[in-house]
Amino acid sequence: MNNIEFYRTIVLAASAIGAGLAMIAGIGPGIGQGYAAGKGAEAVGRQPEAKGDITTTMLLGCAVAESTGIYGLVIAIILLFANPLVGMITG
Amino acid sequence: MENNLEIVTIDTEIGTEQLTETLTETKVEDESFLNFVTIDVWTLIFTWGNLLILFLLMKKFLFKPVRKMMLDRENEVKELYDNAERSKADAAAIKADYESRLSNAKEEAEQIVKNATRSAALKSEEIIAEAHETASGIIARADKQIEAEKRNAENELKNEVSSLAVSIASKVIEKELDEKKHKELIDSFIEKMGDA
Amino acid sequence: MNGPKIMFEIPIFGGIPVTETVTNTWIIMAFIVLLSIWLTHDMKKVPSGKQVIAEKLVGMLYNMVEKNMGKGYVNFFAPYIGALFTLSALGSLSSLLGMRPLTADFSTTLGWALLSFMMIQGNNIRCNGIKGWLKGFIEPVPLLLPINIIGEIANPISMSFRHFGNIAAGMVITSLLYGALASLSAVVLQWIPNTFINSIPIFQLGLPAILSIYFDLFTSFLQAYIICMLTMVFVANAGSEEAARGE
Repeated sequence: MNNIEFYRTIVLAASAIGAGLAMIAGIGPGIGQGYAAGKGAEAVGRQPEAKGDITTTMLLGCAVAESTGIYGLVIAIILLFANPLVGMITG
Repeated sequence: MENNLEIVTIDTEIGTEQLTETLTETKVEDESFLNFVTIDVWTLIFTWGNLLILFLLMKKFLFKPVRKMMLDRENEVKELYDNAERSKADAAAIKADYESRLSNAKEEAEQIVKNATRSAALKSEEIIAEAHETASGIIARADKQIEAEKRNAENELKNEVSSLAVSIASKVIEKELDEKKHKELIDSFIEKMGDA
Repeated sequence: MNGPKIMFEIPIFGGIPVTETVTNTWIIMAFIVLLSIWLTHDMKKVPSGKQVIAEKLVGMLYNMVEKNMGKGYVNFFAPYIGALFTLSALGSLSSLLGMRPLTADFSTTLGWALLSFMMIQGNNIRCNGIKGWLKGFIEPVPLLLPINIIGEIANPISMSFRHFGNIAAGMVITSLLYGALASLSAVVLQWIPNTFINSIPIFQLGLPAILSIYFDLFTSFLQAYIICMLTMVFVANAGSEEAARGE
């Protein structure tokens, strides 16, 4: 086990931890979408005849709110599967 | 304890070996695989080209024919409705015409009946009047005739009486009487008598 | 987890790599075009069967575009949105057939998002003129110029990452699940001496289908709907009221 291998191992381990940490970003959209879904349920309860429109709007809003979570996910995926940091070490 | 430790060290060694293996594998596979998250310019260009081609093909094969069919049908339905509307209006016009004609005919018939009644009444009145006239004419003529007859009879009677009287008188008085003078006298006498 | 496989190289310009994404796109495009031809062939005045479906879908699409953008955009954008939606939805759904979904390749979603971005800016220039377009960046105050620019550029980035992230996450989670279920089967079937039987991943049967309903069916349609919806709304917002009415 030479030096480079050792550092690479450390970088990979750190990347894995980083990926896990990046997924904390999932909390935000979770809360946001839950809130949106709650409001959607409230709206359907108040106005059941507009159920279709409410559902569509809610899904669209949820998907847009999901962006931040998706950014976190992309970072995690990059760290796990296309890690640029490992390349720096070997290079 | 020792055993355990050994296992752990072996495990780590296997782990690192696997790690290096995966790393070298990715290095080898780089030739035939792209990275998981990567911007490949050629794929990007292919994506644009594909979307453009799909857009054109779908427009040609799906949207245009379906859209055309839908618009055609819409137009046809509209035309049908227009036709129906038009024929409905036509029918209404015909009906109105017919009704007005019918009412005209009724009026006319009424008029005709009225005229006929009036003319009949007039004629009957005329006939009655004529009959009256004729009857009164006949009566008048008859009256006149009766009068004339009466007068004739009277005159005759007078003449008879006067001549009778004259003859009686002449018989009585014989030749003493101028016939003419006496006749006058008797006539006037009879006249007075007749008047009386 | 690898990216798309390079299937072959076109030997011009120093070799153009054609990836799995591109070949899958071609397969899906061929499928869509054949489906279109089949749907519209032998059309009659009185619709029946497949023609009803085709007319219903096309009518829904045109209504949706008209409702979200206005009459002026229908002629171009209804077919474009239709093509984008079909390609995106079927491209994501292709994972059900074991193909690599198109949208799990960042280049694809970035390409679509860049097209939307160009359409947004183009429509803005068309409606407001170059001066009006440039002026839009220093409104309401010139101080906001960098924020406005970042806001415009962030649009295609967030759009493409959202689509890519959803589908790729589905793919990663599904493959992780398959791996986990395979090891679980191996552990559970360990006691069977037969190497063939205990190598059968029995737990892979059925369970991933439930996840697949969410990650493949639901997410595919939702993400396709969202990228189309955002494109429509942003392009229509960039233009003027007159363009929406088709004047």
